[in-house]
Amino acid sequence: MTDDIQVTARFERGATIIDLAGDVTTFAEEAINQAYHDASSDGAHNIIFNFREDDYINSAGIAILIGIVTEARKRDQRLLKTGLSEHFQKIFRMVGLTQYADLYPTLEEALASIEETA
Amino acid sequence: MIPPNTTRVVELKIPSELGYERVAREAAATVARRLGFTPERIDELQTAVDEACTNAIRHGSKSDARMKVVVLLSADEKKLDILVKDPGAGDLPPTEVVAPDIQAQVEGRSPTGGLGLWLIRQMVDEAYFMEDDESGGNQFRMIIYRTTDESRSAFDNESPSTDDEGGSE
Repeated sequence: MTDDIQVTARFERGATIIDLAGDVTTFAEEAINQAYHDASSDGAHNIIFNFREDDYINSAGIAILIGIVTEARKRDQRLLKTGLSEHFQKIFRMVGLTQYADLYPTLEEALASIEETA
Repeated sequence: MIPPNTTRVVELKIPSELGYERVAREAAATVARRLGFTPERIDELQTAVDEACTNAIRHGSKSDARMKVVVLLSADEKKLDILVKDPGAGDLPPTEVVAPDIQAQVEGRSPTGGLGLWLIRQMVDEAYFMEDDESGGNQFRMIIYRTTDESRSAFDNESPSTDDEGGSE
């Protein structure tokens, strides 16, 4: 049994946007890490993880994201996260992920933030 | 006529294989919706059930799909009482739950992971491992009230010895 996760990447307004649709669990590890490493290889500085509001994230998924935060710090990249439901925003704050990746309610707000700091 | 305080019990058996925890969390959410849980509490319930089943699959039965994880959902008017049983074929349950040190994980000083039990404790009103049952397996119990107000009310009426409080909002 595998859970469905769709991970796609695109470049827009100075940011690499990694769109995530589905369950962010242990089954998502390879796809998410691949998308992140592809973006890094292309020289991405600003990387937005764009979730859907009905995405589900468990502790294994959070561990994947902590791993990416670790890599991003080494590469001096900025990570942003958008589209999370209130529940997962709360969990990200509880865990402390928001110290390392800024949360924005919408993709547009995340992109505007990048443009302001450019 | 069904008496007003009747407990409704749903029993699930899922294969000990990652991915099937989703079946349990969606079943729990369905039961909670019927009970009138608030959306916030349903989200918390789903996270707690998913993590408990993931632990039972990964640690309590070594992800061996020939084994089963049993999930008992006992619902009354105010709360859902959840029991997750595994065969106890893997690691022993931890004796303490510590908050994750995200900074140490990000700086590579400690491995990532180990969030599940801590997260469960943040989501539900009570969460603890019970004494071994006769089969020698692990039994993990969680209680979650329908609303945060009912949760507070239940604990206000209890004696102060609440070591297993989940600290939910």
